[in-house]
Amino acid sequence: MVDLTLRVNGKKHSLSVEDSSLLSETLRDQLNLTGTHIGCDTSQCGSCTIHMDRKAVKACTVLTAQAEGCEITTIEGIGEPGDLHPMQEAFREHHALQCGFCTPGMIMAAIGLVNESDELDGEQVRKGLDGNFCRCTGYHNIVKAVLDAKQRM
Amino acid sequence: MAEHTGIGASVKRKEDARFITGTGRYTDDINLPGQTYCAFVRSPHPRATIRSIDTSQAREMNGVVDVFVGADLAQDEIGDLPCGWLVKSKDGSDMIAPPHPPIATQSVNYVGEPYALVIGETPEAAKSGAEAVSADFELQTAVMDVATATQSEQIHESVPSNRSYDWELGDRDATDAAFEQAAHIAKIDIVNNRLIPNAIEPRAALGSFDPASESYTLYTTSQNPHLERLVLAAFVNVAPEAKLHVISPDVGGGFGSKIFVYAEETAVIWASARVGRPVKWTAERSESFLADAHGRDHVTHAELALSEEGEFLGLRVQTIANMGAYLSTFASSVPTYLYGTLMAGQYKTPAIHVEVQAVFTNTAPVDAYRGAGRPEATYVVERIVETAARELNMDPSELRRRNFIRPDEFPYETPVALTYDTGNYEASLDRALDLAGYSGFAARKAQSEAEGKRRGLGFSCYIEACGLAPSQVALSLGAGVGLFESAEVRVDVTGSVTVMTGAHSHGQGHETTFAQLVSDKLGIPFENVSVVHGDTRRSDYGLGTYGSRSIAVGGSAIATATDKIITKGKKIAAHMLQSEEENVSFDDGIFTIPDSNESLAFGEVAFSAYVPGNFPLDELEPGLSEKAFYDPANFTYPAGTHICEVEIDPQTGCTEIVSFVAVDDFGNVINPMIVEGQVHGGLAQGIGQALLEHGIYDSDGQLVTGSYMDYTMPRADDLPDFTVDTTVTPCTHNPLGVKGCGEAGAIGATAAVMNAMTDALGVKNLAMPANPETVWRAAQGG
Amino acid sequence: MELQGEADIPAPLEEVWNALQDPDVLKECIDGCQEMSRSTTTDYVAKIRAHVGPVRANFSANIRMVDVVELSGYTLEVSATGGAAGFGKGVAHISLQEEESSTKLSYEVSGIVGGKLAQIGSRLINGVTNKMAAQFFEKFVDRWTANE
Repeated sequence: MVDLTLRVNGKKHSLSVEDSSLLSETLRDQLNLTGTHIGCDTSQCGSCTIHMDRKAVKACTVLTAQAEGCEITTIEGIGEPGDLHPMQEAFREHHALQCGFCTPGMIMAAIGLVNESDELDGEQVRKGLDGNFCRCTGYHNIVKAVLDAKQRM
Repeated sequence: MAEHTGIGASVKRKEDARFITGTGRYTDDINLPGQTYCAFVRSPHPRATIRSIDTSQAREMNGVVDVFVGADLAQDEIGDLPCGWLVKSKDGSDMIAPPHPPIATQSVNYVGEPYALVIGETPEAAKSGAEAVSADFELQTAVMDVATATQSEQIHESVPSNRSYDWELGDRDATDAAFEQAAHIAKIDIVNNRLIPNAIEPRAALGSFDPASESYTLYTTSQNPHLERLVLAAFVNVAPEAKLHVISPDVGGGFGSKIFVYAEETAVIWASARVGRPVKWTAERSESFLADAHGRDHVTHAELALSEEGEFLGLRVQTIANMGAYLSTFASSVPTYLYGTLMAGQYKTPAIHVEVQAVFTNTAPVDAYRGAGRPEATYVVERIVETAARELNMDPSELRRRNFIRPDEFPYETPVALTYDTGNYEASLDRALDLAGYSGFAARKAQSEAEGKRRGLGFSCYIEACGLAPSQVALSLGAGVGLFESAEVRVDVTGSVTVMTGAHSHGQGHETTFAQLVSDKLGIPFENVSVVHGDTRRSDYGLGTYGSRSIAVGGSAIATATDKIITKGKKIAAHMLQSEEENVSFDDGIFTIPDSNESLAFGEVAFSAYVPGNFPLDELEPGLSEKAFYDPANFTYPAGTHICEVEIDPQTGCTEIVSFVAVDDFGNVINPMIVEGQVHGGLAQGIGQALLEHGIYDSDGQLVTGSYMDYTMPRADDLPDFTVDTTVTPCTHNPLGVKGCGEAGAIGATAAVMNAMTDALGVKNLAMPANPETVWRAAQGG
Repeated sequence: MELQGEADIPAPLEEVWNALQDPDVLKECIDGCQEMSRSTTTDYVAKIRAHVGPVRANFSANIRMVDVVELSGYTLEVSATGGAAGFGKGVAHISLQEEESSTKLSYEVSGIVGGKLAQIGSRLINGVTNKMAAQFFEKFVDRWTANE
């Protein structure tokens, strides 16, 4: 077991976790931040994408112990009804989600992509979201939403 | 002016607020006090007899609460998992459904079949315990090849030749006669590749038992909680329906794979009583690959007879359909009533004969996956029509047009048991040709060739039968359940409305579409309508969401119940205005007595219904809440034209979809934004089948595409922007004139892509998925 | 799963023959081998910890020598179970040939894996077994060269 302090969505949490526990599991099981979803066991689907120090990472590829000292942001930390992040707003505007399961990871990945890109066209969005699966939307509206949010961010 | 939120408006979705903020509530997000965790022990062998199972080591382990095997369930008289549709063979005999115990007892028949379960204090304890369970298996030769399954070793004692049924539809003699008249016969042999559904939310179940009331609660990822409850009560014998409360909270995609009643939730709900604590199971993705029902997997030979002028005279289809190791919940209906019945397509083919053998192999059960039977049928019809056009040197769009059923010929009775109510196939084709820039294709092709590329264009003029119905017909054809839908429209005292539906949303946006429908009909604000679904204790009954049935059947039930609200409202208004019911009219939320100045707002009538000061109680009951059970008169028949244009690099085998046009006729549309989204998603799955996806077992019976490292899911950069549009012929037999849109993309797209691929490569056939290796080999001439 | 290869062992034939059948030598040379014992003259039981990509497991293996031709060659029939990770089965044909100052060992292995190993690790399995074979012969050859 490891004792550590995690900074998540601006709040500090003192925790005791297994050495092998993944950040995705800790966020869900210990901090009850269930917006971070787990859709695979091989780090491919991207449903658990969060931000560590403003960079989008798949939380299932990070040991909880590695995250100490980082500023972690999850989907719950970027906006709420009435005060949505432009990316959340754009996903709703453009119908870029259906079942909603991949959505938190997709939004976090998309924000990371926009933050890192000066210019962005449809093809770059498609390549940039390569690590996130959506089975519902066919990605068409996700691309539209990300391009629109880029203008608003 | 207020934003238009009624029928026909692209209203933004109500449900999005929770999904975009991470506050959706999926099954795995739910935890109960004292909960334990379940891990399943799964067979590594495709076929073996179980000599013994040793659970002793697992029982000793820290954190292991209990370990169960199939015999423990049998001891509690937990029944087999049933298949709900009885199909009859040509000779009149019933299909054969081998026993399917939820937890294997005597033998295992596919890799991943569970034979024990371990309950642990933590997920890790359960998984460690599962690793410590061992079994002594007597290995047997696995039957892996669907084409030769009937000549292979017999898998189940009760199933000779591994054949569940040998079914036919249509008139064999008339079809043979048609072929004798043929000037040309086109023939194809095709394989419809096995797909693994892969909803991004893995299946999960959380069961609990309350000893005081002897009742169970099950949270599970079901597209159909009432069916789950029915099967668990009536067939599996967990408890009577009144003591089983099934809740499907937010569900992260289904695509068919979450309609079925599976071993896992059955074991979990049973085990919750045995251990006296809640039991939770969430699938790992590798378990989803092994144990979710797969889709498609047909081998087909088809022949189309044509006249000199290109008139279709007859169609003959022989299919072997892989059922996997057992018959899953709806498996038997997929390659029969959802497949053979669609072989007329959009065409006036006068004679059709379809033969389907359903066979068992040592693979995961195969059942409905988005489109279920209809994509397979479309693939047969549209591939063979395209092949015939090429062989006759005819423009493929013109050959289709020549054979279309014309708008003035509806209702049209096909030779394969359906009556199409309405349609205008030329309208969709013309619109699609226009959007696809068909007249400029030859120039684009020449340009590609000049650059060393190969360009091709393919059509798919599909039809589907949706909103499975009517009950009377379905029951006579072997369905085990009725095919209606229920709705309750409950007007609150203050005039807001709560709608209970038996349909279930796992991405479809029912909370929005159904609210639009009710607010439009009642003339009340969209915000004042809430939709409740997914809970057996809140909706009367339901058959869930599958087969693109939610709006056509579920929506019609809501419309019917809403009409009853208006009728009752008129009675109340008449009483309040001291007039007669027949004098009251209702429009845009106002009850009026025409020719007078007297009127009442909907809210005033609602209030009065619950504050019935001087109601004549023998004529007028208080309250304003109505129910409807809507049983459709017919299927609905969405149809359309998809046109795919591809460019292939023959040096690398890489394919680019340069344009994909889908023009669909869904009848009336409630929310165009949601409908377009449904089409996009379906197209992605149809294109995925054509170019990327394939569930592969090796000859030893092992699933070698068992993770996202090997099963190619369509990613954003595999897919193009789509061009979608609709044409409208309203459905003639439901109150909304709607047809349903959930599956169209997956039904139409695959054939359009493969027709484009074979056109580009100049080959007659190409195996799916047409991945770069397959394409490169074909481009090199074999 | 298929693999074949050759190794040149810098030792006389008889020494190589004996070392190949010595459980202690085998345990030392097989990467991840925790236990190796001989239960009869032709049967061995072993416990081996191995990982194939993301799949890790403790295998219990039964190994039987058949078709033994003294100082020339034999066949090994191997059956290993790894609990939830799955199983492996295979045969290995081993032949020895005396060279001028060494012994040439040729092997041909074919086998199948099942369960999670096949599901997630199947396309990695040839690489992993090749690597295990290479490590084995490296250590095995080291027995004679390391002391020089």
